[in-house]
Amino acid sequence: MAPSKGQEEIAKTVSGPAATSRGLQWLWQHLSHLRRPHCFECGPIRQSTLDVLLLRGVKLYASDLITPAQLSSSIFWRLQGKTQVFLIDDFLAQIPTIPPESLSAICCWGLLDLLPREALPPLVERFHSYLQSGGVLFSILREPHVTAGAETRWWFESLTVLGSSNTSQKPFPYPALTNREMERLFPGGNIKTFLTRSGRREVLGVK
Amino acid sequence: MWWEKKTRPAAEPSSIRPAEAPPAPPEVETLMSEPTPKSSNPSPKSTSLPGAGGAHTLLGRTAVVQGQFSAGEDLLIEGQFEGNIHLEDNCLTVGTEGRVKAEIRARQVVILGSVTGNVAAREKIEIRRTGHVVGDLIGATVAIEEGAYFKGSIDIARDDGSEASRDIATPSTVRTGA
Repeated sequence: MAPSKGQEEIAKTVSGPAATSRGLQWLWQHLSHLRRPHCFECGPIRQSTLDVLLLRGVKLYASDLITPAQLSSSIFWRLQGKTQVFLIDDFLAQIPTIPPESLSAICCWGLLDLLPREALPPLVERFHSYLQSGGVLFSILREPHVTAGAETRWWFESLTVLGSSNTSQKPFPYPALTNREMERLFPGGNIKTFLTRSGRREVLGVK
Repeated sequence: MWWEKKTRPAAEPSSIRPAEAPPAPPEVETLMSEPTPKSSNPSPKSTSLPGAGGAHTLLGRTAVVQGQFSAGEDLLIEGQFEGNIHLEDNCLTVGTEGRVKAEIRARQVVILGSVTGNVAAREKIEIRRTGHVVGDLIGATVAIEEGAYFKGSIDIARDDGSEASRDIATPSTVRTGA
């Protein structure tokens, strides 16, 4: 799928303040025994992310799932009767070919806050299938009181410092995910949560 | 279809005359930011560039080529190519109009158009803002501009030419880390 003009514009993000991430600190400590972790980056690729991860020795899989979700791209929706149905299979087709149980980590950032509830079980199940034992799904979820910021972007400034764009006032399209919901979504329910001062939770699912 | 390049003298017809230098690293920006000469001839052309440090081949905008391409000079693709490209010691540039479905091996690869297939570069792979790439990349360094589309994997080639992925430490233990 070629990037649209809107995607290109949304990709030109304005950087907000970088912040040390306890979730990422935990993640890289958890993966410290791996010389060559395999990771999947679900956001629009940025050079800093690329540099940081490749320097760490990561084999990186990348495909931007975030931008079409932020744009509520019409190609993933179909009207059935009077109901708009999310085409999850088409959405999942954007993921590159990844061997099953091969990934050490998946960085899906705020993706889970951007998709309809019915799309989350197959998405998380797919992610789970890519993770090797001990692999981690890293996500950033908003607290319920945070209602705007759907276009926020996240990236690696360093392995443990997150960069973000903080100019988005676009409201979130769906209710905030609770930790209980995450425990139900992620097979095994092994969830770790790190609270932040910015109204976000760093939620890590460990396979 | 398999074809061989024919080296032609510098004074060739203007329709195939490259006006700028081949896509050596510092010169690619200039090459791509200025109007690129378009060929109405569907076959690839080769020409020596006086003072440009060597020859390069241009596959013009209207060219549609299938097969295997190998050469000892740089290649600029503005047309369509399907097959394999081997430029072991040279640079490949896929221009903004270029549409390539190929396994690519080169010293350096710069992509402004569309590439489907795996790309291996001994030095650098660059995907510019207008680039659209679906495939796996292996290079000494990889640069992707914001706005570019990429779907695939990225691996860093070691000094010995092997991919980093070959010496992955196999995780044998489950760490809860809690």
